[in-house]
Amino acid sequence: MEILIYGAVTSAIYAMLAVGFTLIFGVARVLNLAHGSFYALGAYGTYVLTSVVGLPLWLAALLAIAGVALFGVVVEKVLIRPLRSSQLGVLMITLAVSLVVEQTLFLVFGSEYRNVPAFVETKVSLGGVDVAGQRLLTLAVAGVAIGALYLFIQKTRLGSAILAISQDAEAAKYMGIPSDRIFSLVMAISASLAALAGILAGPFLSVQPSMHLLPIVKAFAIVVVGGLGSIPGSILAAFMLGYAETFVGYQFSTSWTEIVSVLATLLMLIFRPAGIFGKRSAF
Amino acid sequence: MKRLCLALTNWSHALLALPLVLAAFAAGAQEKPIKIGVPTAVQLQVGRDTLTAIKMAVDEINKKGGLLGRKLEYVTADETENPETGISAIKKLVSDEKVDVLIGGYTSGVTLAQLPHIASSKTIYLGVGAASPSITAKVKNDYDNYKYIFRVGPINAAHQARALVDYISHFVIGELGYKKIAIVGENAKWVQDLVPVLSKGAKEVGADIRLTELFDTQTSDFSPLLAKVKSSGAQYMIVVLSHGSSDVFAKQWHDAQVPVPYGGIDVKSMDGDFFNRIGGKSISEVAANFAVRAPLTKKTIPFFDSFKKASPNYPVYTAFFAYDAVFLYADAVKRAGSFDTEKVIKEIEKTRLEGIVGEISFDEFHDVQTGPGKANLIFVQWQEKGERAVLYPKELRTGNFILPPWMRK
Repeated sequence: MEILIYGAVTSAIYAMLAVGFTLIFGVARVLNLAHGSFYALGAYGTYVLTSVVGLPLWLAALLAIAGVALFGVVVEKVLIRPLRSSQLGVLMITLAVSLVVEQTLFLVFGSEYRNVPAFVETKVSLGGVDVAGQRLLTLAVAGVAIGALYLFIQKTRLGSAILAISQDAEAAKYMGIPSDRIFSLVMAISASLAALAGILAGPFLSVQPSMHLLPIVKAFAIVVVGGLGSIPGSILAAFMLGYAETFVGYQFSTSWTEIVSVLATLLMLIFRPAGIFGKRSAF
Repeated sequence: MKRLCLALTNWSHALLALPLVLAAFAAGAQEKPIKIGVPTAVQLQVGRDTLTAIKMAVDEINKKGGLLGRKLEYVTADETENPETGISAIKKLVSDEKVDVLIGGYTSGVTLAQLPHIASSKTIYLGVGAASPSITAKVKNDYDNYKYIFRVGPINAAHQARALVDYISHFVIGELGYKKIAIVGENAKWVQDLVPVLSKGAKEVGADIRLTELFDTQTSDFSPLLAKVKSSGAQYMIVVLSHGSSDVFAKQWHDAQVPVPYGGIDVKSMDGDFFNRIGGKSISEVAANFAVRAPLTKKTIPFFDSFKKASPNYPVYTAFFAYDAVFLYADAVKRAGSFDTEKVIKEIEKTRLEGIVGEISFDEFHDVQTGPGKANLIFVQWQEKGERAVLYPKELRTGNFILPPWMRK
């Protein structure tokens, strides 16, 4: 029971991270190593707006998400777009962005841990398991956010445009789809999802300058397992990984959980480089 | 990928550690000033407090005319919590800055990696932060090479384990009546040194150890661990934490309202702002400390008060030991009548100096001694509004034990 609930929460956070990561790759072919920075900035943004500026939490969270989305769009427009023809160039520039963000956070806040307030402070008992309310909220919000994204892509005109580009960018261009604007939009969605994950997980995970490493490592592992560019694949893989880690933590030792994702990536690359739902090998 | 990221971050940390020559009192001195090299984790409060304390000590000594007619000054290098950066910090201080003495340190793994480089530079090193007994064991095993190494504080992990056993036996079992105990620690060098001594000792004083678990320092989700502690039936959880996980640990313990109070050695929880920076979620946690603002020696309260003027917070432990280390070095130089390294080492070995937490003297490992009147652990509980109450030892007690809010009837 504990594994069921805690595993679901971990998986939901991973899913939010991985979906955004895989979305921007699937659509714009951008392997965004700065994805973790969006997560970190979401958490730090909320921290600054609540603790320093003194805004109410919900407003701070919305502003932080909007700010991070804007930051994502700027990064995409100014830094990534000129280099997009080169995979390696994109990789390097996004890595640079993540390092700049990390060092800026170091300089401004120091390496101490910061506190992002929780939306819910109460404890909930589910089938004899005590769960912090914030974790259940995370699970619910993640479900809603990913569901909404799915509907958006499947049901709206903009969503169809995103799908079209991800299937064949060139053909989509000939059909008159403004691909650059779509890229910005996808970047904004991807960044907001990461920021949302940071804000929701901030109260119970760590908020410090190198916090961007965890999501990027997990997102990487998940999309390799699920298939780079495939949204259902990354959701499935997020749940597999989330549960596998929680299971190992309960049944064996917490000191073994971190190795699970690395091992999963390794095995997947050896036996099925395209991932579960991938159509072709990404690397 | 992670490795690449890490490598690049470390490299950029090294860049951050550009020389910061902070003391500029050399103007009036005839001879060139004595340079103290301070390798420490400047991003952390332990590091910043080390620097503040060294500045205080250096200013005091310079005001009284310096040391054997020479002024003191200090340079710092960021050693972070990473061994490779730690080695470059030492190299920078001994080769580029040519410092006369090194005072600093925090992470045992970093200090251990630095030791061969310190030894080959033949520079006296006064450690003020790292607790692994392996550090000073080198002195005993290979005196000629490692005689430069001293630990002014904190008391080593084995002594800390014994102090923790005393706390379990006299307070947790003796006063609270909790016999069923879980031990939880992070997988760091000094914890690996400490936990075996701790569980053996705790069993001897009658504790029923229900669970012993070490977790990886990268762990961010403690819910499996906390659930295990709860289901183990433990009445009290002893923790041994230092590198970063403390904040998350306290938050998750509080949010899941784990019905097991906890306490032990929690280095981040020694910070004066710990309670506030995690939103008060460490309430009822008992964290061992090396000093509080209490008359431990006649230096304790004056030091706490003047430190508070120089810094927004009360000092953490590295500050007491760094301040003492400067005076200890000055005292040894005065007695030796020279700056000659060999002679100064001989005098440091004979040191009997009243420090901030007690008398400082060294054993044959060049390790600071513990015991009555010397450095000891004090167990302090976080109470309402972030007040801190000393619970143990009994003779220093300033408040009564409280339970976590969700366990009160």
